[in-house]
Amino acid sequence: MNLAEFPWLTFIILFPIAAAVAIPLIPDKDGKTVRWYSLVVGLIDFAAIVIAFYNNYDFNEPGLQLVESYPWVPQFDLNWSVGADGLSMPLILLTGFITTLAIMAAWPVSLKPKLFYFLMLAMYGGQIAVFAVQDMLLFFLVWELELIPVYLILSIWGGYKRLYAATKFILYTAGGSLFILVAALAMAFYGDTVTFDMRLIAAKDYALNFQLLLYAGLLIAYGVKLPIFPLHTWLPDAHGEATAPAHMLLAGILLKMGGYALIRMNAGMLPDAHAVFAPVLVILGVVNIIYAALTSFAQRNLKRKIAYSSISHMGFVLIGMASFTDLGMSGAMLQMISHGLIGASLFFMVGATYDRTHTLMLDEMGGVGQKMKKIFAMWTTCSLASLALPGMSGFVAELMVFVGFATSDAYSSTFKVVVVFLAAVGVILTPIYLLSMLREILYGPENKELVSHEALIDAEPREVFIIACLLVPIIGIGLYPKIVTQIYDATTVELTARLRDAVPTLGKDAPLAALSSQAAPDLADRTN
Amino acid sequence: METLYQYAWLIPVLPLAGAMLIGLGLISYNKATNNLRQLNAVVVICLLLVSTVMSFGLLFSQIQGHESYTRIFEWAAAGDFHLSMGYTIDHLSALMLAIVTTVAVLVMIYTDGYMAHDPGYVRFFAYLSIFSSSMLGLVISPNLVQIYIFWELVGMCSYLLIGFWYDRTPAADACQKAFVTNRVGDFGLLLGMLGIYWATGSFEFDVMGERLQELVVSGAIAWQLATLFGILVFLGPVAKSAQFPLHVWLPDAMEGPTPISALIHAATMVAAGVFLVARMYPVFEHLPVVMDAIAWTGCFTAFLGATIAITQNDIKKGLAYSTISQLGYMTMAMGVGAYGAGLFHLMTHAYFKAMLFLCSGSVIHGMEAVVGHDPVLAQDMRLMGGLRKYMPITAATFAIGTLAICGIPPFAGFWSKDEILGATFAANPAMWLVGWLTAGMTAFYMFRMYFSTFEGPFRGNDDNIRKELLVAAATGQPAVAFGPGAMDVRELQSDVEVKHDHHHSEHPHESPLTMTFPLMALAVPSVLIGLVGTPFANYFEAFIHPPGEEMAAVIEHSEEFNLSEFLIMGGSSVGIALIGITLASLMYLSGKINPGAIARQIEPLYRFSLNKWYLDAINDFLFVKGSRRLARQVMEVDYRVVDGAVNLTGFITLITGEGLKYFENGRAQFYALILFGGVLGFVIFFGVT
Repeated sequence: MNLAEFPWLTFIILFPIAAAVAIPLIPDKDGKTVRWYSLVVGLIDFAAIVIAFYNNYDFNEPGLQLVESYPWVPQFDLNWSVGADGLSMPLILLTGFITTLAIMAAWPVSLKPKLFYFLMLAMYGGQIAVFAVQDMLLFFLVWELELIPVYLILSIWGGYKRLYAATKFILYTAGGSLFILVAALAMAFYGDTVTFDMRLIAAKDYALNFQLLLYAGLLIAYGVKLPIFPLHTWLPDAHGEATAPAHMLLAGILLKMGGYALIRMNAGMLPDAHAVFAPVLVILGVVNIIYAALTSFAQRNLKRKIAYSSISHMGFVLIGMASFTDLGMSGAMLQMISHGLIGASLFFMVGATYDRTHTLMLDEMGGVGQKMKKIFAMWTTCSLASLALPGMSGFVAELMVFVGFATSDAYSSTFKVVVVFLAAVGVILTPIYLLSMLREILYGPENKELVSHEALIDAEPREVFIIACLLVPIIGIGLYPKIVTQIYDATTVELTARLRDAVPTLGKDAPLAALSSQAAPDLADRTN
Repeated sequence: METLYQYAWLIPVLPLAGAMLIGLGLISYNKATNNLRQLNAVVVICLLLVSTVMSFGLLFSQIQGHESYTRIFEWAAAGDFHLSMGYTIDHLSALMLAIVTTVAVLVMIYTDGYMAHDPGYVRFFAYLSIFSSSMLGLVISPNLVQIYIFWELVGMCSYLLIGFWYDRTPAADACQKAFVTNRVGDFGLLLGMLGIYWATGSFEFDVMGERLQELVVSGAIAWQLATLFGILVFLGPVAKSAQFPLHVWLPDAMEGPTPISALIHAATMVAAGVFLVARMYPVFEHLPVVMDAIAWTGCFTAFLGATIAITQNDIKKGLAYSTISQLGYMTMAMGVGAYGAGLFHLMTHAYFKAMLFLCSGSVIHGMEAVVGHDPVLAQDMRLMGGLRKYMPITAATFAIGTLAICGIPPFAGFWSKDEILGATFAANPAMWLVGWLTAGMTAFYMFRMYFSTFEGPFRGNDDNIRKELLVAAATGQPAVAFGPGAMDVRELQSDVEVKHDHHHSEHPHESPLTMTFPLMALAVPSVLIGLVGTPFANYFEAFIHPPGEEMAAVIEHSEEFNLSEFLIMGGSSVGIALIGITLASLMYLSGKINPGAIARQIEPLYRFSLNKWYLDAINDFLFVKGSRRLARQVMEVDYRVVDGAVNLTGFITLITGEGLKYFENGRAQFYALILFGGVLGFVIFFGVT
């Protein structure tokens, strides 16, 4: 069989789901076989993703690649249509990576292991499907389907308030999804042709008012997921109650679905409305950054603290995608990838710490680092990554958003100055809450009461391995960001050009094209 | 020689490789790596020695007149945006490489003795090595973004090293304070960098300077805006070089082990701010308001540091405030345009201040043998005295350092400080006056430190003093020399036991050779290095001059040496230093004047200085407590208003749902019809309009 014609994406999506269906048949009493089985399935699927993209994906091609399209329910014009471009491909890769690590992080799960791993594998396929499908109706379906495993994982393996959190989660996201359905139908039936194909939908020319209405609806739907203030309150509850592996997926992948869909649909399909809404996005982004950082600082519960820090970091995605510059858009993408890795690592550390201290309240910890040196080192590294230390991915992403927005020609100077100033305040607030968190958990004299009833055992090799796996790409991107930016650059450049076309006042060239062509000779002269 | 330039990137990479090697060892084979102890140190020191040799090779080649060398590669790109990284070797970076590597190697050798019994010995070397790597990367950065990157990395190393003894609460607080304060400066640096990039489209120093000036001259950018950018960039150096008002982190940073205080918080990292000002000189020199701001900030900081150093009793804190004061001199020199003089002082200060700190470490090491491992006791000068008898090498080197910092010829500090004061006098006599008075105070507090540490009787076994200090530390008040109970009634109530460990010795001992060798090695440049920059033959200035200035102009400038002017300027600064020394010897050596009585006479001033101008208290109230309060309020809003609204909606839906359920018929087709009808109406409505 010809490898190039193999339906890679379909296989990648369906294989974990098919494997999950087989789990109930595995004879396994204590759950030890199931976890190995799931891990192997996860690894095979991740390998398939890497092979598929390595062989068939061309970085220089901005459009969709690895496209497959089969009619599914012809009566509804529903097609099984998948493909990957620069927006999808890195996120699919991220999903495979994080989900496999999450399976490994779920090693100690002992309550209903079969059901748990079934749901993990189902989510594996479901999440990739969200990033890969290219049919509006199908997108809505997989978007909804992927909620079910999350809901179940939250409500069965969560903390004390798990039912409240799970219900809140499902109501919020399902409520938001209604807007997706309405918008999908409206866009499909608009104009002369009826189609659900995303590419055709994006090519349609909508009236401005219609776009604005759809944009607002989709913004609510995806704003819940990202999340955007004030639609964020499900997240601290859901994150506060979930177990560590679920956390890694929530922070690492699910939040990115919101950002991905905002860029693909709101920006990619409704560029005229995007031009109108962009300042709103920027303001919401700034509010996210500062508001969530302050709330995080005041939180005394470790999980909620990190949850709010996720919200804060997502603000940069909003600012980046509204900057109308290649650099800003690229920064927004990189911030999603980077936060996927860093968020997952922080939540994994929270889980690892909870396994030992059995408390999440900072007041009940203290001096934990003395007995657990490896945990100390890993906590410090992950926190430094999260506070955008240079040499790690978060810094590059934030810097790109900052430079992109500061050099944007779509806004007045005053607006830019205010926004950049306020967003940079976030740069001060982030170390305040993260370092004081570190201080309260790890530094200082040991908390005698905690030590008296908990044996604080240092990290086991499995945990070190998971964090090391996450740190390799975090540091790799930080040292040489081009390894990731070149993957999606062609697509984001094309998208930015389209967005800039929608704003009549902007020149066709990137704002600094004139200047950087001046700068280029200087640089070249100095090379030798 | 070309090969050396091509491989210059190895200079920062080698120590990094050493750090990674040890780091991996610590994570995977913790016990084995820790047991190897000195082998780790040897590896790290050898790697750094290679860097040192290469650095001196480059410095030598630059002195020979090799032109500057830059190599870059594309680091990040998006669309038309390209950002390059790489390294550049020119006069300034070659000089900095030489300074950083020599101090770092000596500090590492010293560390072996100082940290010999610490369980974190290996980890300490790993951190030291990462720091050296970041610092070396910083000085060879070809553009502002790369400087910013390494700038933050040295900040991280500083954070890790201040918090090295993480079980101590003050260390935990201090490392966070250092990082956050530095982030405030970085916030300005980032904004300024973005602003200048927005205006000029470049991160290269020369290009930025040239274009910014063009834009200001042509009126494309208001000069106020350019000035604002300049001041924002300068905020970075304000934090890193501990200038007022962001200096508050440096004294607290003394919670870290002493080798760190010498390497990071005296010789290299804190000087990075001055280095950045030098790198940004092409931008700043065209912005007179920024230059004035830099000069006055430096001038005020020099004065502030000296006034606080006068009353400090902790030997390291005293040296820390002295560092702040000396960094103020450097910044002031940069601000008045004395580029060469500022960097000259950076070099001399790096050597003699590193030596002074290492001496203080040696003293603490000796004192710990008597009073035990309690920083409250081991670092307090009121418990020292007469140490010259027990630690002759430390005393001699400390004396050399003291003479150097006081500006007594021919020691290094004289030449550099005198050059700064001379340039300042030419620029602004008022500023010179402050600098001149500060020089007097410097001589006073340094000799106060020397006399109370090394001369007189040894007070380390005096239980009354010990108890007093412990009580003061327990109540959190700086100990005032008026006697117990005078200021705070709690002092009388609290009962702190003075522990007597009988295995402690009665007298301190001289430190081992690994510790005294670096002291002696650093004493050489502390005495002699000033001679490269004497006013009659200023080789230093001929080598280090502002990028814009032509070589000929520099030589011409240095040739107009005026002997009488030199004698007047030099004489006045030596004069006030001698006054300071005399006062200190009357008070602390012969005891003819009672310092306590004077303190009582001017008590408000004394307390003002002792409490560090109350800046820490203001900072704590305004920013630490203020931000906590704000954060709590925002959380309340989030919890009660935003989330409250959600829960209220949920509640109302529940109630109405209960009511509505009687009206629903449960037919799926009916719901589908409503949904489809709605969508259709929607499309038709917008299709028509």
